Amino acid sequence: MNEKLYNILGTTLGINVAIISDDLTMRDVETWDSLKHMELIATLEQAFELEFTFEEIISMQNVAEIKHILTQKGVNGKI
Amino acid sequence: MNLNEKKVILTGGARGLGRAMLDSLLDRHAKVAVFDIDAGALAILKEQRPEVNCVECDVADHVSVVKALKHYHETYGSADVLINNAGILYSAPLVRISMGGIERHDVAMWNKVMATNLYSVFYMTSCVVEKMITTRTKGVIVNISSISSLGNAGQSAYSAAKAAVNALTVTWSKELSPMGIRVTAVAPGFTETESTRQALSESVLNETIKKVPLRRLGKPEEIADGVIWVIENDFFNGKILSLDGGLVL
Repeated sequence: MNEKLYNILGTTLGINVAIISDDLTMRDVETWDSLKHMELIATLEQAFELEFTFEEIISMQNVAEIKHILTQKGVNGKI
Repeated sequence: MNLNEKKVILTGGARGLGRAMLDSLLDRHAKVAVFDIDAGALAILKEQRPEVNCVECDVADHVSVVKALKHYHETYGSADVLINNAGILYSAPLVRISMGGIERHDVAMWNKVMATNLYSVFYMTSCVVEKMITTRTKGVIVNISSISSLGNAGQSAYSAAKAAVNALTVTWSKELSPMGIRVTAVAPGFTETESTRQALSESVLNETIKKVPLRRLGKPEEIADGVIWVIENDFFNGKILSLDGGLVL
């Protein structure tokens, strides 16, 4: 169920998908800086064909919150 | 981007090249705010084009920029386009040898050229882009560079400032593209403006024209056409459009 999201996180952040869990945050990943975050947001928007608000972008700093916001936007089944 | 009804901030738009850009933007029904330090020129502009939002602002001063843009954003929301056109043309070599001896480049003028041509671009763009991102506005930034960015003998400060503007254009395009914001530049060659006439003597200007393959100065409206083109072409990004009649420095 999380395959698509995890693949995007792994590819964009350059990390092994195996280490991704709901608890993973920006602080845990060295490559997940401000610029990577914008790249991640753009990739998610393109992949799931949606647009995040600025407030959502700011709050999406851990995997659980990203899932939560994607679910709120009705893409749960596709995550 | 179709400019119809789009909100555009144009710095240094009251006179010269900026005025030609303003006329082209108004022809396309853009809603333009001109940020300019010249209160007299703004007053004349307001009389001639009452639809223009004239904002007196020293774009080389950070406090002035923050205050003016705060008011703009509170009133109109995010701009769709920012054109960083304000600048001063100043010609001086690193050291000047004359009958009186040798003289170093004036430090105060170095600082003034850097503040007006480079720091202003940083101040304006950081504030405008912040608002674009928080409102998710997919905007365009256009920096007005110069052929002198390639290194023009006799223009140390001006060349350095414009080269830095080119570097910022590329850097910001990489940083901001994921958010849907394009950053571009237009680099005019020698153009038929009052500031060109003031900066270059008649003899230097004539020699310069001889070096231009088209054997003439550019027209302000030709530069304005280039600015409109980079705004309207949604695939133009992170690049500098040279409009110089084929001149190579």
